[in-house]
Amino acid sequence: MIARTVARAILARLIQAILVALALSTLCFIFIYILPGDMALRVAVGRFGLEQLSRDMVESVRRETFIEAPLAGQYFAWLGNVFTGNLGYSLVSNRSVVSELWRAGANTFTLALIGWALSYAVAIPFGIWAGLRPGGIVDRVTAGLSAAIASLPSFLIGIILIWIFSVSLGWLPPAGNRGPHYLILPAATLGIGLSALSVRVIRNAVSATNDAFFVTYSQIRGLSPGRAFVRHVLRNASTPIATFAALQFAMLLDGFVVVETLFNYPGLGDMLVKALVSRDVPIIMGGALLIGYLYAAVSLVSDLVCLWLDPRQLEGARS
Amino acid sequence: MSEIARSVADTVRTGQRLPWAGPALILAVVLIMILGPRVWPVSPTAQNLLDTLAGPSLAHPLGTDHIGRDILARVVHGAPLSLGFALLVVAIGAAIGVVLGLVAAERGGLIDILIMRFTDLMLAFPGVLLALLFAGFMGGGMVPLFVALTITLWPQFARMARAIALQTLAEPHVEASRLAGLPPAAILARQVLPPVLQQTVVLAAFSVGGTILTISSLGFLGLGMQPPTPEWGAMITELLPYIHQAPLQLAAPCLCIFVTVLAFMLGGEAFARRAMRGEHAP
Repeated sequence: MIARTVARAILARLIQAILVALALSTLCFIFIYILPGDMALRVAVGRFGLEQLSRDMVESVRRETFIEAPLAGQYFAWLGNVFTGNLGYSLVSNRSVVSELWRAGANTFTLALIGWALSYAVAIPFGIWAGLRPGGIVDRVTAGLSAAIASLPSFLIGIILIWIFSVSLGWLPPAGNRGPHYLILPAATLGIGLSALSVRVIRNAVSATNDAFFVTYSQIRGLSPGRAFVRHVLRNASTPIATFAALQFAMLLDGFVVVETLFNYPGLGDMLVKALVSRDVPIIMGGALLIGYLYAAVSLVSDLVCLWLDPRQLEGARS
Repeated sequence: MSEIARSVADTVRTGQRLPWAGPALILAVVLIMILGPRVWPVSPTAQNLLDTLAGPSLAHPLGTDHIGRDILARVVHGAPLSLGFALLVVAIGAAIGVVLGLVAAERGGLIDILIMRFTDLMLAFPGVLLALLFAGFMGGGMVPLFVALTITLWPQFARMARAIALQTLAEPHVEASRLAGLPPAAILARQVLPPVLQQTVVLAAFSVGGTILTISSLGFLGLGMQPPTPEWGAMITELLPYIHQAPLQLAAPCLCIFVTVLAFMLGGEAFARRAMRGEHAP
């Protein structure tokens, strides 16, 4: 029974990943043909720079890329390539898309992981503290701060951090990626944005569980408040928090595209935005697919973690 | 984006003491958007290269930017592009979503399955990615931006409307009116729509906040509305290099985004609390 529920969860997310891939590749394909402007020109600008551009260069780009091939056959070739993992070569740098994705993805992964960890390092202690004393001073201060931060676009948080730590104090570099300390400001920008919400989610989960009768009962039974907290509050409160993780990935996605552009950090988001500007379709496709797959994968992990934390859902699936 | 906004529902507690703060702020920013250009009829795009990066003065209360345009005029004219645009996007997205959700709940069967599967597929996309692709591929005009934002919004409204409609349709008083011979359209309009709309207002308020954030982010990335349009996010990108000489000019669009989004977050929270009170009332 358990195996079947888990298998169903995995299957559902696999279908999601396939559908997302299909829809994304079709969407990109459609875009190329209805998009205004000359694609070969945009690619040539990206490859050679605006100053050295000549008509011959544009024409050679037009000849060597797929742009002029017939439509229907191209679409199926395209789909076939996507599903066999053959993502082709960048139209601008001529490097293989997979290797570019690998490089940028690794950078983004590092940045996202540090940002995520930072956000939880702040959100877990303060969320629990606020949740154990609802209406207390910590609760009110974190609530006000979260509301303020949630009303700021992430690039503004980054600008404020750059203003304080690079421009005024001169402690940290404002942009680039030439060492570990270049990661601090972008990761902090991501982390602050994420923790604004996770601190409230944790607070609400903890406070709701703490009010439940089984917690009172475990203390009546003679468990010390600390043990009652670890055994009953933490475990029950972690289900909504784990569900929230998938949602957070969506936020992270918005966050890292903007933050990487702001800090000129060579990750997936930066790559995607630059590729969109220079119409580097293979890179756009690859980046979009990778992000879509990651989204499905994170949702799957979140589903499985929830099943593991709350086995009652397995029971529910049976009946 | 508005998934984020919805989680803020729990975030904002300040509204508990000042239940009118949110709605009042919303009214204020909407009034500024409508009346602003009349009260301050200065062109937002007129340049004056002899008067660049000037500090506040009577002629330019918020100073001028790097090519001598009046910041106050730009900020005021930017309101319809951020706030007005967001209101329009949310109104259309909510209308599509609510209609589809109601149809799915009322019809049931194959139609329900088809609509909800499609909704699920849309929700399986990270919304920001979709907006990026649309805006990026189609060249950052108003129309692609509108399409992209609406597409990412309606599924949430559809899901919400269907859930509440199903709940309401199962209630005894609805069953009674069905037995009394009321046609389905009348039942939907009179008994199902009011509770759905109540939640729609809540979700819509949060969505407006989230949409303004997305518009400004895309503007900042250079994939949204293009300069010289005085969209707030694009203004920030333009003014960022002059952060030293013109901090006030840079702060103006930043504050506009902040106050407007905060207004809708607080407003959404106030509406949510009202909706909750209504449910518990006898």
